[in-house]
Amino acid sequence: MSVGRVLGSQHTNTREFRVVIGDEQYLQLDDLVVVRTAVPGAGEVATYGIVTEAEAVYEGASFESDTFRIADEGTMPGGKVRSAQVAVTRVDPELWVSPDPGGLVSRATGEARDKALYIDEMGRPLPVGLGRDGLPVYVDLDFFDGRKGGHMSISGISGVATKTSFALFFLRMLTGRRDIVGEAGKNLRVLVFNVKGEDLLWLDKPNRDFSPAAAEAWAVLGVEPEAFPSVSLWAPPRPRSGDVLVPDIAGRQDVEVFAWTPREFVDEGLLRFLFTDASDARNQISFVAERVESQLRRFAVDVAGVPGAIVLRDPGEGHGPGALVKPNPGERVITDLNGFAAALEEFLDPVDGEPDPRWTGRVQGGTVSAFMRRLHAAVVRVGYLIQPGESRRIDRARAQITVVGIQSLHELGQRFVVGALLAEAFAEKEGSGQRFPLSVVVLDELNKYAPRDGQSPIKDMLIDIAQRGRSLGVLLVGAQQTASRVAPEVLENAALRVTGRLDAAEAERSEYGWMLPSTRARARLLKPGTMVISQPSIPVPLVVDFPFPPWATRKEEVADEGDDVFKGL
Amino acid sequence: MARLHVEGWAPEYGASVEPEDALSPAEGSVDVDVEDRPWEPIAGRDDDVPLVAFVDGVRRIDARLLLDDPSGPVPGICGSFAAGAVVWDRRERRSEVTVRHIERMAVLGDGHAPDMPPLPEWLAYSSSSVADDDPASLIRAFHDAMRRAEAVIAEELADAGHFVVADGPLYEYTRNDKMGYVKSHRRSYLPDTTIVGLLPGAHRTPLFTIGEGRFRRYSWYVRLVDRGADHSWAGIVRCEASGALDKASVVTIADRSAAVLPLLASQPHLDPRAPQNLVPIAALERDLRHRLGDAGLVLRALRTALAGGAA
Repeated sequence: MSVGRVLGSQHTNTREFRVVIGDEQYLQLDDLVVVRTAVPGAGEVATYGIVTEAEAVYEGASFESDTFRIADEGTMPGGKVRSAQVAVTRVDPELWVSPDPGGLVSRATGEARDKALYIDEMGRPLPVGLGRDGLPVYVDLDFFDGRKGGHMSISGISGVATKTSFALFFLRMLTGRRDIVGEAGKNLRVLVFNVKGEDLLWLDKPNRDFSPAAAEAWAVLGVEPEAFPSVSLWAPPRPRSGDVLVPDIAGRQDVEVFAWTPREFVDEGLLRFLFTDASDARNQISFVAERVESQLRRFAVDVAGVPGAIVLRDPGEGHGPGALVKPNPGERVITDLNGFAAALEEFLDPVDGEPDPRWTGRVQGGTVSAFMRRLHAAVVRVGYLIQPGESRRIDRARAQITVVGIQSLHELGQRFVVGALLAEAFAEKEGSGQRFPLSVVVLDELNKYAPRDGQSPIKDMLIDIAQRGRSLGVLLVGAQQTASRVAPEVLENAALRVTGRLDAAEAERSEYGWMLPSTRARARLLKPGTMVISQPSIPVPLVVDFPFPPWATRKEEVADEGDDVFKGL
Repeated sequence: MARLHVEGWAPEYGASVEPEDALSPAEGSVDVDVEDRPWEPIAGRDDDVPLVAFVDGVRRIDARLLLDDPSGPVPGICGSFAAGAVVWDRRERRSEVTVRHIERMAVLGDGHAPDMPPLPEWLAYSSSSVADDDPASLIRAFHDAMRRAEAVIAEELADAGHFVVADGPLYEYTRNDKMGYVKSHRRSYLPDTTIVGLLPGAHRTPLFTIGEGRFRRYSWYVRLVDRGADHSWAGIVRCEASGALDKASVVTIADRSAAVLPLLASQPHLDPRAPQNLVPIAALERDLRHRLGDAGLVLRALRTALAGGAA
């Protein structure tokens, strides 16, 4: 059944053509169409396309006021003509000819739809939302899990672009469609940072507002509408809570506290993540930090009886690795960040005497002072993340999804935790050299961690993940309000690009060059729950809706115990 | 055998002959004593006639022909014309081009009928001839054919219950609801034209008759828009109704025309022939001219056909 014919009064080409729509038919944005063209000597070629704009005009009206003469007074004859602009998605067989003018245009359904969206060519088509026709739209998983490409970048205005919601929806597809994900889904580990509010701390709880309509959409996508089955939640300790570590979370009690012991702090080289401000790199503070870090590694000795604590002793004194010592009287036992600061001050900026050049690396005195000032500031802001005692590191193996709540931390602390965990995840994969099991990291406000300008250890880390993570099985799902403020190396390596609603000025930037002009114009108007997705295997971006989540995104949404939200579905 | 050629010159060159529309055949006496009322402007009266049909035609010389006859060159033309109608449904408030009649003619002078070579299906010319070799007669014959086609459409629509406004003077003087609409004024039919200058917008003169016997017809002047500071013939059109109608019907038509036609007057910034070129007629002409096909394409097809036919 045809919807119209290819417009003949304008040139058609291999990128786009226009369809004049029949009186009894319509085409709306994102509709998929196919037109078959008989090519002399080559047989029939099917051109598939997607509607990017729909238009209508009075034929016969040459002046604007003719509209009234035609529609109002009826004194002038004029015919309504409706047409639709179509962007070509595919030509099959691949013979790049334009469709014939006057060619019959039909809706692409069934097999033709699969062809239009390249679903027939996808190795592992993973549903990522619903098209305007209510059927799933797919991405080729090979372009996410590292086979052919990796990473996802999500942009959009805060609040209405639903970046995090989409990221979680995508994760749910990834974890819920083992039939498609296959081997890559085995022992898949996801690290999610909750940077704002407590939105992501309810992923394992059913949503009381979940509706049957949403359940239908989930059924189409082939995933049971359930909350995430395997989630572990982590939060930093509440500051000044004394010896009892209480998670710094308002809404929920069953959250584990995470912290690093001084020993872990030294071994994992976390000091540099305290100096992540872009200005730190400029004034050589990072150089001092590196120097101090390596010195700490050499000097740190475990203390008997105080797990996790260390003392600093000159390696010349002959303590071996794994040695346990009793602190000498008067010797400083480092149990927290404050201890580090005090100990380092003795080497770097002693009250009486000269700084030790082995620790300062002979930088200028002002630089050392700046280092110490920042270290003292860090003591106040993130000091409580360093705690003696048993290890309280985040155990990413405990559940499939590990949510780390850093929303209550100062920005410095957020960067510290993100840096430390990224380094840990990456180092682990670097060590094993194996792509599997995959490790996915979801990080919002990427512009904070990998800004376009300046240098920082976290930015270096993220660029490293973007460039090498694909082959190591570390995949970044990064989100940001404005892609133009994120390091281009990170963006360029994302094979899947997604945007929700964009700021009008932002939409015009070159970072969104992958969108069609019409999609850019629309990106200013997208409603929550609608995203534009670009993937390497389809030459045009697709607009998809994703359904309401079956998990709670706020405390108020959590269904009561015994409340069967899925009853009657 | 004599060969038929397309003249190298573009069709626009050569004798430009505009057949005289304003001067109808058999002009005769004018009688201003028709209506029994003072010789004063009369306001239009709209009787809410539901269906108004506007009939018009357009024509184009597609190519000039030359028959290379042993007796000497014989001139000819190829022309296309389109006649059609817009029906304005005043209850539905919409207009539609309901009739389109397109015809192509090849005319030769000196009584020679052109032997047209095979042409594409969309470009079929009928052959005809005129007796003399005056280029003006060729065009007149062609123009008459168009007027005849217009008249056929006008009669059909009038008989089907439309009030027909036919562009130009009346062609058929039959008894139906129909009027001729003359936009330009080469001469005045009134012995005293003072009243024309006094007409306000949407007013008409009383009726007068032109001609005698079977060519007798009613006529009146209507001003479409207030003249303002313009000359006294600004915005004036002359209307005609068949002499076969009874006077009461003609008065109805005349009153109606003075009320309805001003509603359709075109605006000077939109139409170079404003206000006389009525909006539906202008649209119809545009539509019909479009249907004549692309002039360049037609000329090329003719040249190709005639060159090929001789080979």
